Amino acid sequence: MLIKIQIIVGVLSIILLLITFELIRKKRLREEYAILWFFTGIAVLVFSLWPEFLLSQFFVRITGIFYLSAVVLIAFFFLLLIVFHFSVVISKLTGQNKELAQRHALLELEFKELKKRSLPRETGSS
Amino acid sequence: MGNKQKILIVVPAFNEEGSVGKVVEEVHTHLPQAGMLVVNDGSTDRTSEKARASGATVLELPFNLGIGGAMQAGYQYAYEKGYDIAIQVDADGQHDPREIPKLLHALEVKKVDVAIGSRFIGDLGYRSSVMRRVGISIFSQVISMIVRQKITDPTSGFRAANRKAIQLFASDYPQDYPEPEVVILLHQCRLKMGEVPVGMSERYSGESSITKIRSIYYMVKVLLAIFVDCFKKPPFLEKEGERC
Repeated sequence: MLIKIQIIVGVLSIILLLITFELIRKKRLREEYAILWFFTGIAVLVFSLWPEFLLSQFFVRITGIFYLSAVVLIAFFFLLLIVFHFSVVISKLTGQNKELAQRHALLELEFKELKKRSLPRETGSS
Repeated sequence: MGNKQKILIVVPAFNEEGSVGKVVEEVHTHLPQAGMLVVNDGSTDRTSEKARASGATVLELPFNLGIGGAMQAGYQYAYEKGYDIAIQVDADGQHDPREIPKLLHALEVKKVDVAIGSRFIGDLGYRSSVMRRVGISIFSQVISMIVRQKITDPTSGFRAANRKAIQLFASDYPQDYPEPEVVILLHQCRLKMGEVPVGMSERYSGESSITKIRSIYYMVKVLLAIFVDCFKKPPFLEKEGERC
């Protein structure tokens, strides 16, 4: 029973690591966002290879839950970190996006006014 | 002195083609010396054309940023063009342009940095639903407590800002619920504000962005935002003092 779970979890984490690696190689995923995914994959892989690994044993002991639950809990914790990281990144992007939109609008208005001012002069001189 | 100052009227507009032209024309007849800027916050209707036809300069945001982002863009324009005073007037026509001199008077005589037009000082005939008045009175009490100054109408968007406040708003302006949050921001930056009794009329068209059902939800969110604002780091102002 335990070995089955170990194999499934292990294979899943290896797939996750391979996909992450491949996406970075193709430049479809930036390193700064990939790093947490890497840690997630590695953490889950470690816990699947060594069920008696100190930390997972520690989790099992303090929480009284079974091995699989411990793995799920650890994976969940990492996913939580990733989602939180994304929230921070999205907030930053939203702010930058707003600033760009405002800058764009101001420059566009400036440009239109310059064009309007310079056009009659051109036609007047020619 | 009042005549020498460059005044800009900022009208944030989002899908207000029905009223924006009328507002611009009306403000222009009462305050012909002021510049008129309509900030089109990504409208999908003919707001820009209507505003231009009535003689306003139109600042067009590429997409909808919300009232906070739109007003900030207006203040950025005012700052860059060297305006001394910026006055926010809503595009739905509920702010009476005849009341603008009262705001200007407060800036000049009371020496405040921001003058807020309040519907609730004295009885100037403003009527609204009981729900809304209860909500605003709760805001008013909470905000007055935080800023240690009586603010009767913290949700009023009818405001005049001097150069110092324009500078602050150009670099830092609350995004989510700008009207009440600006009051906190001003307090944190030690800028002075004062209220002026003004009458407000019915909107020409459109509906308030706050409907009855959502007003409680809105209230909770604003109170939460105000609470969080109290713990925010106030923006650094000293550098700007030098530029002034």
